[in-house]
Amino acid sequence: MKMPITLNVNNTTWNLDIDANATLLEVLRSDVLNQQSVHRSCEEGECGACTVLMDGQPVNSCLVMAASAQGTTIITSEGLMRGDELHPLMKAFVAELGLQCGFCTPGMVMSAYALINQWGDEELSDMDIRKAIEGNLCRCTGYVNIITSIRRAKEAKDAGNWW
Amino acid sequence: MENRETRLISGKGQYADDLDFPGMAHLVFVGSPHAHAVIKRLDVDKALKVPGVLTVITGEEMVKYTNPLPVQANFKSKGWTWRLANVYAMPKDKVRWYGEPVAAVVAEDEKTARRAADLVEVEYELLAVTGNALQALEPDSPKLYDDWEDNKQVHLKFDFGDPDGAFAEADQVMHINSREGRVTGLPIEGRGCVAHYNLKRDSLEMWGSFQTPYLARHNIAATLGMPEVKVKINAVDIGGAFGLKIHSWKENVVALASKLTGRHVKWFEPQKDFIVTGPHQRDVFWEGDVAFKNDGTLLGVKATVTHDLGVESTNKGIAALSIFPACSSVPNMYHWKGMHIEGVGAVTNKSFYCAYRGYGKDKGLKFIEHALNQVARKLGMTPEAIRLKNYIQPDEFPYHQINNLVYDSGDYPGTLKKALAMADVDGFRAKKESYLKEGKYLGIGVISAIEPAGVAVPNCQMGGITQARVQITPDGTIEVHSDRTEIGQGSEASHAIIVSNILGCNREDVLVKPVTSDYIGQGPLSSRGAVYPASAVAKAAKIIKKKVCQCAAAFLKVDEESLVLEGGMIYSSDNPDEKLTYRQLAEKAYFFPGPRGLPPEMLKKHDHLLDVTTTWYSPTTADSGSSYTSFCVAADVAVVEVDIDTGVTKIIKYVHVHDAGTIIDKQIVDGQIHGGIVQGIGEALYERLDYNDKGQLMTSSFSTYLIPTAVEAPDIEVGHMETPSPFTETGSKGMGESPIIGSKAVILAAIEDALTPFNIEVNESPATPELVRSWIVAARKRQEKAK
Repeated sequence: MKMPITLNVNNTTWNLDIDANATLLEVLRSDVLNQQSVHRSCEEGECGACTVLMDGQPVNSCLVMAASAQGTTIITSEGLMRGDELHPLMKAFVAELGLQCGFCTPGMVMSAYALINQWGDEELSDMDIRKAIEGNLCRCTGYVNIITSIRRAKEAKDAGNWW
Repeated sequence: MENRETRLISGKGQYADDLDFPGMAHLVFVGSPHAHAVIKRLDVDKALKVPGVLTVITGEEMVKYTNPLPVQANFKSKGWTWRLANVYAMPKDKVRWYGEPVAAVVAEDEKTARRAADLVEVEYELLAVTGNALQALEPDSPKLYDDWEDNKQVHLKFDFGDPDGAFAEADQVMHINSREGRVTGLPIEGRGCVAHYNLKRDSLEMWGSFQTPYLARHNIAATLGMPEVKVKINAVDIGGAFGLKIHSWKENVVALASKLTGRHVKWFEPQKDFIVTGPHQRDVFWEGDVAFKNDGTLLGVKATVTHDLGVESTNKGIAALSIFPACSSVPNMYHWKGMHIEGVGAVTNKSFYCAYRGYGKDKGLKFIEHALNQVARKLGMTPEAIRLKNYIQPDEFPYHQINNLVYDSGDYPGTLKKALAMADVDGFRAKKESYLKEGKYLGIGVISAIEPAGVAVPNCQMGGITQARVQITPDGTIEVHSDRTEIGQGSEASHAIIVSNILGCNREDVLVKPVTSDYIGQGPLSSRGAVYPASAVAKAAKIIKKKVCQCAAAFLKVDEESLVLEGGMIYSSDNPDEKLTYRQLAEKAYFFPGPRGLPPEMLKKHDHLLDVTTTWYSPTTADSGSSYTSFCVAADVAVVEVDIDTGVTKIIKYVHVHDAGTIIDKQIVDGQIHGGIVQGIGEALYERLDYNDKGQLMTSSFSTYLIPTAVEAPDIEVGHMETPSPFTETGSKGMGESPIIGSKAVILAAIEDALTPFNIEVNESPATPELVRSWIVAARKRQEKAK
């Protein structure tokens, strides 16, 4: 069964005719939206590879029925870019080698973005960072360089280098 | 050129799941719900009637259209037990493990394929299940393969040095046993590929998460009965591998599906299937004796390691091959008089064994490090004292170890001493007592290990040969090819650094190409990236550098010896003002070679072609048969606190000092260390593949198979030492597996130290809270009884 929904993805509004049983992950990865940074892995909300922001909050897109996303605003990691320019958070990941195979990275970036965006001027501890990305599994990095990357990104935001 | 990390983080990665071709069909496997059963009836009619279904492939089709899976390692000739099973990529008559695919549904889209997969009807007649290695080796145990005498697939026996002499000299002999649970490497991305069989040309091309495209081509071509020249395998971006994507097997079915339908066929594996039907590792127990003198001098070991291999159905000897390094790694980095080691592998009704970071080396090293700690405790020595007493010394290299491995270089005592100092071991030891008064159990673990890296063994597909090509194109950019796929371990960046350092060009001008089956080699396994492919690439770059200099000397009319290559420019130190860029040089060499003054003999020898393909093979392997070339050294210190009421282990400090020879890129090396350590911590504390008594896997998701999250992972302090290997082109050593080897051993050693008041031998992993509690409860009972 098909049903219509309206979805804003990375600042573009889409009127879509989706399968009623489609997940947000499926719709984002579909030929129409083609958000290939949203990765499919466990499909049960455990790994975080499909994390996107839904109305500003990180969600596992595999656990969200697309129908229930009606009217929401979605941001994927592609949506953090300004044209070809990497977001300061992404630049921090590249500089600190916060990624190895890169598969968990877009989801990790979205959780980190939500954390830093919602955090005030106060200091961000390593445990604050660890808890914020607890739902994003990484098998390559041991998380060490990811945490360094996020700390560096927080410094960038504190210095006014953020969007 | 855009660097790889920038490409991946901006969403331009092309992983297997991102592959898309016009008219692409989708394949979904149907797995057996039973661990051991006869297939009585298999009915695909209902599935075929679903609109959009193209075909359903079963074991029947595999037998009809394909060959049995090809042999990958065969040691029958050595007079040991070495059995192989004659099986197809999917079975026709019998399933042997939970999840084993019995059918593959191909449909226009993945959802339709899944829906139809549920309609495949299979009637099974259940057989008795062989659930573990001990049971498998009992005389009346149900057999997995009818034509085998029993379930013992492998039995290897090694005599290193003089084992009897070692035990005759001993003051004491200690009995040691240990076991480790079954685990899987579990990259976050499962396996996946697209196959396209070109019916007009009778050729096959595949794209996917292939860790070793050259071997995949050989094995897929053999299965489909095609000449290898008609098959091409392309690695795309790979979402982690750790050895688990070396082996192609389900991929063979995808290839057949494309041949039968004439369509591009895609398969992307759900994570659950990757755990249930993917490669497994470890699951061994050790039983043996260690002989030593009262002053702590080590003499010998006699031990047997028994492996639960799961089924021998998919990789034809390569899994069993890991029993070799399990046995041969026991001597580690110490002086010994002799050892007798036996390796036994039994088949059971579980998913198959294959490579995972460590590949057996970890097992022997973990066993001997555990044994050393028991000896030290018995003799009242510290763990570092017994190691420092027995180390091979820096002036003894190259050192021919009793196991016939030739160790290249290193400062073993220096590495350990640095780790002890960085971790402030003395400081933590001083605190132990005051902690205990507060009811806190602090433990300090100390271990050290070498990592044999860069494997080359006879009688199997891991023969060692490796090819690389470096070409300077007419526009002056530099193209690099090798067998070393990028699986997140930094092969692209490493090769770009090696080439740009040798040619004095900019890193951005070097493009390391994605790996295809066009270049010979067994890819990144056994930490051979920095040994074989890096050496081949360096060798090719050095040869091309000579050609660059010859051409430049002719063009600039200067002495070849005076040439300087730096910053992407080539010039003579006699006349630094006249410079050539690589573009200018290449353009002249390719397009205007004659009139611009290249010497005739150079033209006739074709030396102006700036394109070199070469191979590299280890000098020590060639000379002595040493099956590994480089030996990275590492010392690990962990400080933990064990909560004796809950059994939970908390890591307070983790220090890793390593010496992997010349460091190509420190950030990459650190990344390998961090990641390996945390994987090892997962093995030591959390990860376990649990089968129930029906042979069904109970831990088949991230919510039950627990890999460390950011909250469990500790801070890690890394110390570097650099003793170049004399045997590789760059001086670098393979080091990707060293961190996992050390961490899983040292965490257990630290727990044991923390539980000293209970006198517990921590010889089983994972040391889950339940297990730790059970040790404490049992110890208290023992203590009460003694009172």
